[in-house]
Amino acid sequence: MKPLYMGTHLFIRRLLMMAALAILPLTARAFDLNDLQTQLRATPVVRGQFVQQKFLRSLPQPLTSRGDFTLASGQGLLWLLRTPIKQDLRINAKGISRRDETGAWQSLPQQTGSGRENRLFLSVLAGDTTGLQENFDLALTGEANAWQLLLTPKSVLLRQIFDNIQINGGKLVDRIELRETQGDRSVLQMTDAVAADALSPEEQRAFSD
Amino acid sequence: MRFQTERWLPRLFKLGLALVLCAGAWQCRNGWPVSANLMELVPQAAADATRQLAEARIQEPLSRQLIALVAAPAGADSAAPARLLAERWTRSGLFSSVQVELNVDVAALRAQLLAGRLAMLPAADREQLASDPATYAQRRARELSDPFSSSGLLPVDQDWLGLTRRAEQALRPGGAVQYDMGTGTLQAEHGGKRWVLVRAETRSDAFDTGSPQGIAQQIDQDRLALNASGAELLVAGGPLYAAAGRAQAVAESSWIGSGAMIGIILVLLLTLRRVRALLAFVPVAVGLLTGAVACVAVFGSIHVLTLVIGASLIGVAVDFPMHWLGKSYGMPDWQAWPALRRVLPGLTISLAASLVGYIALAFTPFPALTQTAVFSAAGLLGAYACTVCQLPAWMSNGWQPRPWPPLLRFAQAALLARERLAARRAVLGLGALILGAATVAGISRLVIQDDLRQWLSLPAPLLQQARQIGEITGFMPTSQFFLVRAPDTDELLRRQALVAQKLDPLVKRGDLAAYNSLSQLVSPAADQRALGQRLAALAEQPDVWKPITDLGIPFDALRVELQAMATLPVVTIDGALQGPQAERWRTQWLGVHNGEAAGMITLLGLRNTAVLEGIAQGLPGVDLVDRSGELNRMFAATRIEAAELKLLSYAVAAALLLLTLGRAATWRILAVPLAATACALAALGFLGQPLTLFSLFGLLLVSAIGVDYAIFMYERVAGAAASLVGILLGAATTLLSFGLLAISHTPAIANFGLAVALGVGFSLLWAPWLRPPVAA
Repeated sequence: MKPLYMGTHLFIRRLLMMAALAILPLTARAFDLNDLQTQLRATPVVRGQFVQQKFLRSLPQPLTSRGDFTLASGQGLLWLLRTPIKQDLRINAKGISRRDETGAWQSLPQQTGSGRENRLFLSVLAGDTTGLQENFDLALTGEANAWQLLLTPKSVLLRQIFDNIQINGGKLVDRIELRETQGDRSVLQMTDAVAADALSPEEQRAFSD
Repeated sequence: MRFQTERWLPRLFKLGLALVLCAGAWQCRNGWPVSANLMELVPQAAADATRQLAEARIQEPLSRQLIALVAAPAGADSAAPARLLAERWTRSGLFSSVQVELNVDVAALRAQLLAGRLAMLPAADREQLASDPATYAQRRARELSDPFSSSGLLPVDQDWLGLTRRAEQALRPGGAVQYDMGTGTLQAEHGGKRWVLVRAETRSDAFDTGSPQGIAQQIDQDRLALNASGAELLVAGGPLYAAAGRAQAVAESSWIGSGAMIGIILVLLLTLRRVRALLAFVPVAVGLLTGAVACVAVFGSIHVLTLVIGASLIGVAVDFPMHWLGKSYGMPDWQAWPALRRVLPGLTISLAASLVGYIALAFTPFPALTQTAVFSAAGLLGAYACTVCQLPAWMSNGWQPRPWPPLLRFAQAALLARERLAARRAVLGLGALILGAATVAGISRLVIQDDLRQWLSLPAPLLQQARQIGEITGFMPTSQFFLVRAPDTDELLRRQALVAQKLDPLVKRGDLAAYNSLSQLVSPAADQRALGQRLAALAEQPDVWKPITDLGIPFDALRVELQAMATLPVVTIDGALQGPQAERWRTQWLGVHNGEAAGMITLLGLRNTAVLEGIAQGLPGVDLVDRSGELNRMFAATRIEAAELKLLSYAVAAALLLLTLGRAATWRILAVPLAATACALAALGFLGQPLTLFSLFGLLLVSAIGVDYAIFMYERVAGAAASLVGILLGAATTLLSFGLLAISHTPAIANFGLAVALGVGFSLLWAPWLRPPVAA
């Protein structure tokens, strides 16, 4: 029984992304976290495109990647990178998987082997912010069509890795920015996000196997 | 008329007793010298210094660590109850350290990862970088562009190649216990509950006096406090087992002791009907005292289990005064000193025979029995000395026991019945045949069984908690481990890696949950240098790194990093073990002694030991150390030894008897213990009790006791009936004490007690058949 120190912040980073994405289908209403949850549960499917930029201290230009995403409530998230590398990722109750050359989903080695985090993913996806509140202080400001959610890590350890995470949105989440203590930043921008009622057959297949 | 000796003997005895008392008082100057360490009871393996160091390392956590899992009630803060427990433990002052939160120093960890990125890189990655760097580069590029596995603990620009990320993953244990970043605690998920791990180390060795009890009480209170808030608590650890073992042993020895005492008081009062007869207890007390003092003098401490078995000495030690006082049944003119003079030869031979029985135990490799032997031999000597030197002085001046006529009549009737039976040759022959057949049948039913578990009897709740903790964490430490030695540290790490390669399939199959090997943490210095040079060489091949540069990372940055790898200082084992994240491997490193580097590979969650066979074969310097297996094999070997000892003790007894009583007496007297042993074995068979080492050792004692009874019946001082009364009384007291052992909770002790009780019963049955040879 030995300590595990490592790799969990990766998970946290993912979690943050997830958390941020989970709040995508936020509609303009009164602004507390409960509303936010209700909203999220009301939207079965959201599709859109993303641009991910990593601003590294030592590089003048950010590392940029682009692709499409599909968020399905209760199912998970499809994250399809298109440039500079083609890579299909899926996050669901079983963890993170990558589609290999043959088209089969290979689960990536779990950064942290416990089922708890995956459940946390899904609770976040389902709009359950209590999971997040265990690790972060949540502060929601602004109004329905222009709001900001600030996540500040609670634990000493997390505070040594992240300063905070900012999520901005209007009708839907537009932008997630993750600031690391060492000066690097990651910015995720969602564009053309639209709510839908059902998954396409292809998406259904992707979620089902 | 009194001899001179009868005047100074009591004085001499008092002087000796005073000396023993002083010695005992001095031994107790630092508290009671009683130990409850189970490990002291099993034979120490004959091993070299390295192996002993390894075993001590394995046992250390066993004796000092407590592990608790705390589950919060649903919906509450998962770590709050665990923190409460840690706080209570810290406040109690019983522990030298209590750990619930791991405060990770991220800065130090980053520095260490950077310094060790070559040394800690898993073997698979090292091979890939050597043989197929392009594939490595592709995977790294995917990592960099994946938002969900973007970077590790270090900023990307300090580790473009992602070497520290690979090293980070190597540092992670498998199993269910995970570090929860939000709370900073270690947690395991099981059955829909989140269990938080709390670890503590006791201040002193668990088996020291006092502290285990304190810890057990503390945990009982903690459980109440936590349950009140709806939280659940599971605790396991050596100190608790020590507490349970000690509590049980103390309780058992006290009630076996007091049970035997009460029984013997009743026997004394009933059969001798004089209050002063209770002075027969003085030799018992003296015997217990001398036994304990001798035991501490020889071993430095006395084990609680020795005390339990030793409590049965009461029944044997009281035999000396019993035989002497019992003679009043055949001597109407019983007088203390003259009666003693008449039974003295018998008492002395019987002492010698008992000593032979006990001394035979002393030569077994089991400290438990060696201690019992020393305790009992010294105790018998003390009791004998007290009976012979002091008791008559207290019971002279015309004092006489008042025999209880019905007992004498019973003895006479029994002897008469035996005479009648003996006269009927046909009945006798038939009886002997039936008895012989029954004995053979019983012995053929015997099951031989020896297991370390017979030495322990842990209360069910403790065992259950330990099992639950093992299930939840997925890590049941096993006592088996591999000891690996090599001429230098590099070779040690290579050999460990070879063992690890053989263990990996077992982990895949699920026969083993995990293992800890230094080769998981750090690679040989030569490999580190080779890898550094290989990476520096790859700085000249931009094509290999194309997937990464395509993301927008300038090749210059990569090249600088690759070239720096050639000059990265080598990380030694000691260096790699710095910092809290290497805690998992810290115990595995045994250091370099006399030009030999040694380390262990410890195993967790082993399903069955058979899968380990053959792993060490063909690997130089690798040994599988399997203490429990060794012990069980040792039990088997010792069984044969016990049988030899038994034969030897018969030979010694025969020699003794030949010298003192002559040839005709010898075979008659030896027939009694032989027959009693055979019958006791058969009875064990019919009772469905296994034959263990302990029952064998019990039967060793039986031969001594059987000889004892036979001598008294053969000598017939003051007539056959009085002698029978004497052995009846002796047997009653012995049966009382050993019979009580038979209901001990420790299987080994119960087995021992039952064997002795049966043997004594049969000795009593067969001794009266002895008749002195017809005087020529």
